[in-house]
Amino acid sequence: MSPNAKRRPSVDTPTLKVPTRARILVRGACLVGAILLLLPVVPGASAPVVVPALSPFVAIAALLATRTFHAVALVGLAVGAVGLFRRRLFCRWVCPVGLCTDGAGRLGRRLGRRTVRGPKVGPWIVLLTFGGACLGYPLGLWLDPLAIFTGLFQLGPDGGVTFVLLAVIPFLSLLLLSLFWPNLWCTRICPLGAFQDLLFAWCRVPGSVLRRRGSENQTRETRRRLTRRTALGMAIGAVVAWATGLVRGKTSRPLRPPGAIDESKFVGVCTRCGNCLRSCPSGIIKHDLGQGGWPSLWTPVLSFRDDYCREGCTRCAEVCPSGALERFPREGKARVRIGLAQVDMDVCLLAEDRECSACARWCPYGAIRYVFSEAQYTLVVEVDPDKCTGCGACETACPTTPKKAIVVSPIATPPNAQLGSFGAQGQAKRRPILP
Amino acid sequence: MGERMNRRACLRVLGLSGLTAGLSTVRTRPCPAQSVGESSGFQSSVIASGQVRANRANPTILDGKVIQPRRELPILDQTDVLVVGGGPAGVVAAIAARRAGARVTLVERYGHFGGLWTGGLVLLVIGHIVKGGKQVCQGIGEEIMSRLDKLDGAIINRRPGTNPTADAEAVKYVMVEMIEEAGVNVFLHCWGVDTIVTGNRVQGAVFESKSGRQAILARTVIDATGDGDIFAAAGAAFEHRSHNVGLVSRIGNLDRVDSTKAAGSPKPRRLGSPTPVRGVNWVNMRGPEVDGLDVATLTRMEMNHRKFIWRNMQKTRQAPGYEHTYLVETAPQLGVRITRVLRGLKTITLADLKAGTRFPDVVGVGGSDSGNHGPWQIPYGSLVPAKVENVLAAGRCVSAEIRMADLVRLIPNCFVTGHAAGVAGAVAARDRCRPRDVDVAKVQRILRQQEAYLG
Repeated sequence: MSPNAKRRPSVDTPTLKVPTRARILVRGACLVGAILLLLPVVPGASAPVVVPALSPFVAIAALLATRTFHAVALVGLAVGAVGLFRRRLFCRWVCPVGLCTDGAGRLGRRLGRRTVRGPKVGPWIVLLTFGGACLGYPLGLWLDPLAIFTGLFQLGPDGGVTFVLLAVIPFLSLLLLSLFWPNLWCTRICPLGAFQDLLFAWCRVPGSVLRRRGSENQTRETRRRLTRRTALGMAIGAVVAWATGLVRGKTSRPLRPPGAIDESKFVGVCTRCGNCLRSCPSGIIKHDLGQGGWPSLWTPVLSFRDDYCREGCTRCAEVCPSGALERFPREGKARVRIGLAQVDMDVCLLAEDRECSACARWCPYGAIRYVFSEAQYTLVVEVDPDKCTGCGACETACPTTPKKAIVVSPIATPPNAQLGSFGAQGQAKRRPILP
Repeated sequence: MGERMNRRACLRVLGLSGLTAGLSTVRTRPCPAQSVGESSGFQSSVIASGQVRANRANPTILDGKVIQPRRELPILDQTDVLVVGGGPAGVVAAIAARRAGARVTLVERYGHFGGLWTGGLVLLVIGHIVKGGKQVCQGIGEEIMSRLDKLDGAIINRRPGTNPTADAEAVKYVMVEMIEEAGVNVFLHCWGVDTIVTGNRVQGAVFESKSGRQAILARTVIDATGDGDIFAAAGAAFEHRSHNVGLVSRIGNLDRVDSTKAAGSPKPRRLGSPTPVRGVNWVNMRGPEVDGLDVATLTRMEMNHRKFIWRNMQKTRQAPGYEHTYLVETAPQLGVRITRVLRGLKTITLADLKAGTRFPDVVGVGGSDSGNHGPWQIPYGSLVPAKVENVLAAGRCVSAEIRMADLVRLIPNCFVTGHAAGVAGAVAARDRCRPRDVDVAKVQRILRQQEAYLG
């Protein structure tokens, strides 16, 4: 059991009470602000990143997993820093999800549902996630409430029924959960809230700098318990990450948006906030519905059926709150590899000597050539693997139906090997090892 | 006659002339082939006995070099608009210029019209539609197609949104009919070899034929040779490109393939696509990427391709069920795709296609080969050489970047550039101005009157 649950609330740690009018107003304003940012009414292509990036839980877990610092993490770290001094300040005054779940909870109570007192799973989710993050696979980032909230706003270019359903399901589940078991999410499950609790508790154990006079009831015993629990939780998380890491990302690897980090990390670091889907001007990023196995559910995958990944476009990476899509400079897009185009000459029109030059014409990087084969006395499509980024322009342009003759396949090598060439770190990696 | 009438009246007369099969408007000119001398009472007569060519100036060897001495060339014709090349672009250009009121002379290297469409047996017409099925090739190009519709067995797959396949002989016939109706002066078997140039002004072209080397003087010359022979000879800047050179063939008796016998074994490759003739398919060939201007290369291509086509046909005949199939013919004309491409005042680019750029001097709209992209406007500047005057390009050699070449060279897009060049050439000749100074608004107005689609 959580030590926090056992002890009575101290002077400076008020628990979640029935919100006062002022708090409702402030949270309402925050909710409206978040919606405006996500719609996005606020100008600036990167505006939607702010909402999911507010979570310190995501920021720290992503930092641990990717071991790369992104400027966007500063937002989450700032929120975390505030939480050090005022317990769950974010939950009480800002969280747009909290307002919605509270509302659903109130309705539930009016319908006769009772507040349940279950075990606190939130801290365990946080610890398991951080433990996994140390091995590059944060287990529970997808449970972050802000990411779930952001995922609601899928007003993408193709707003089909399934598309809307996929966007609504996670958030709707939260609301239903709060309707049937009021307060259960916020106090027992929410990893963002639990993370703030843990952080607050850790800063007040004996020996901590932030320990205040008002928190004398934090004894050495609580510190021991906290240490034990943290160690256990993180160890389990690490073991799970290691065990699943044996198979994860190796069996199937769907096509990921440009800048995606190594597949084994990607499924963990991705928060499923859907920002990339929404920001894509070509509308080629879709929800994974099982292509990459169940750990990959709801993550972004690419489909080149209708359009391709535009040259010079960096939108999806710009709005990624966790760094699952690493940012890259616009000029470097030609070196950001998504996959590799592969040709099936049994389907290709050139094998029948038809007059087609679609893939070569539409390839933005000049990676496709038609070479005359003396033996077959016809043209064979050749893809230059050094030039091809897997942008899918060829696949989109290919006129064969129903099967495309040229299809982008995921590549075996980690895609960030290409990304690395932009930073000093990457150059170090690429430097040949001399005896 | 055209000069005295206004354009509308002229068009009306020309329109009526369609009903009388060209009898009323074909200009009567002394035809060199008409004088056959006194009848000998035998199948053959003596036209002239022991005649020595008057204008002979044989090349001689001077210092080990073969030198062609100066000589005077007989003037075969004098005209407003001279169209060199009788392919899809040249034929449409000639008809368009004539309908716009100019005197037009068309010269063609082979004995028929249609160029690679007929002589090259590239029977499939692709490029007249764009994404969504909109037909962008209208005007005289569409008129040719609808005339083919009216003939029996001339064209198949003429449904909206599909690429039709025409019969080469039907196309040759329809083109002869339309050229005659329009009243274009024609010289076949005439190979344009040079231009008559004063400064940077082209004043005509020189032709080689069985009648020898002759000149035709013209106010505007339209280069519809495909290879840009004329603008290159006049000194215009161009890009010399390589592309695949193949040879098309037709195979027959495909309706007699025994499907029960063929069921078990794999279907032979290169059976081509259906043509209006029952049981006959046309078989395309891409061939290697070579220089289509090099005569040794062209010779090698012809010979290699013929060997391959024959041997491949034998293989097909050995396949169970395909015993009755046979090689109907190989195309008389080698399938040269791209050679010289003009460096014009403007260049057709893929970026403009993607952006859907609209040009103020639009003279046509190009289509897509597989219907996977939208329309692209063709600016008048892409037909006009940057420096040389009085020449306009039409067909596959108009100014286009390398990635657009495969779209520009499609038959319907050749119709479109030919149509534009024909009208612009007529306007330039009538207004006594250089093609670059032509009133583009007037050209656009006449093009629209001739039912061309300008977007």
